[in-house]
Amino acid sequence: MKRKLIVFLMIWVLFILQSTIFQFLEIASTTPNLLLILTVSLGFMRGKREGLFTGFVSGLMIDLFYGTVFGFYALIYMYIGFLSGCFCNVFFDEDIKVPLILVTVGDFLYGIVIYLSRFFLRGRVDFIGYVRSVIMPEIVYTVIVTLILYRLIYLINRRISEKEKGSAKNLWLKN
Amino acid sequence: MKKNRFPKLKSKHYLVIMTIIALGFIITSLASDKVAYPIRAVAGYIITPFQNGINDIGNFLTDTAAGWQDVRELAAENKELKQQIDTLTEQNNQLLQAQKELARLEELYRLDEAYSDYPKVAAQVISKDPGNWYSTFVIDKGTADGISVDMNVIGQGGLIGIVTETGSNWAQVRSIIDDESNVSVMLSKSSETFMISGSLLEKNNGRLNFFQLNDTDETARAGDAVVTSHISSKFLPGILVGYISDISLDANKLTKSGTLVPVADFTDLREVLVITELKQTKENS
Repeated sequence: MKRKLIVFLMIWVLFILQSTIFQFLEIASTTPNLLLILTVSLGFMRGKREGLFTGFVSGLMIDLFYGTVFGFYALIYMYIGFLSGCFCNVFFDEDIKVPLILVTVGDFLYGIVIYLSRFFLRGRVDFIGYVRSVIMPEIVYTVIVTLILYRLIYLINRRISEKEKGSAKNLWLKN
Repeated sequence: MKKNRFPKLKSKHYLVIMTIIALGFIITSLASDKVAYPIRAVAGYIITPFQNGINDIGNFLTDTAAGWQDVRELAAENKELKQQIDTLTEQNNQLLQAQKELARLEELYRLDEAYSDYPKVAAQVISKDPGNWYSTFVIDKGTADGISVDMNVIGQGGLIGIVTETGSNWAQVRSIIDDESNVSVMLSKSSETFMISGSLLEKNNGRLNFFQLNDTDETARAGDAVVTSHISSKFLPGILVGYISDISLDANKLTKSGTLVPVADFTDLREVLVITELKQTKENS
């Protein structure tokens, strides 16, 4: 229960940061996709189910305020979380290479899905143009931010895990 | 914990269940706009106040960053600006006279329905779309302040966008530079109507695309003012949108298209004005 609350709090904080402060820190009118970093990181650290739910809630936040079709972002983020959860078995402490690759791939997929479903279908066929001016800058910026944010999420996750282990042990001793 | 309660559910089962739920949301929201409304109403209270506060910090940071300019540079600028003030005062006097004349003429032509007469509500931009695909933003006024969907948003002397979603204390606005935005406009000179549409690829150049300009008299030139048209279903007529930047004849040799520079600077939006009058109500009354 505590873990869920903390995860929700993280989503909430990152959503607010992404839509306010990071709009001022934009580079080449691009903002990093913080919620995607969180979804991918938690999926990678905790597995498919947690990635799935984190992604779902993250996407829902965006849907609530910025979605034109309610549930659209929830669906995309959910699948990205689930996919990154598939790599949970290669999760090792302090390793940042795999999450970086996962964030890159995840953000690319995210861009492609949005392009295909919301732009291509409206006759915007300049795919390369969109990759160059929107998808690539976002990936680069997001990956750079991942270097810092992943550490932070990792530490928070370890802290909760330690606490959980602690309380689990106590419970076991009592019984 | 959950594992014990639902021992048979694996993560892929969750995936299927949640996918169905999300698809359900999508389908219902495509069918009707009202589905998400109660959730949105609650979410407004847990998000908007914080965005408001944090956004103030962001504004403060940009202001301080701007304050770090070289003092010498500022002194030189000051001198230059003082000279400019003199010339501008002179110009202003001339313009005031011209404006008086204009007011008289407008009265004469009963054209005093300029957008200065519309009732307006001032609002602050509190957050922007977290992704990079859309140009929508949220303002700190909502239904409680009389704002409803489809109201026009202006600022910095021109058209900014249109309200697309509302909560009690917030409203979502889609800018005219958004890729999904289409506005029916006309040349203020010849009243020739055509369409402008936002473009993600042109956004970084600060431009919009326009097309279907049926310029029979061959009068349209770069620099011509473009205002919202009277045939638009949602935009009030006569709001300045921008100026034509470049124009070219289409392959069909009939219509023209090109790009347009909006008057409003969309990279630094802080305060906007919402016109609390809808096009429809105007027609009905």
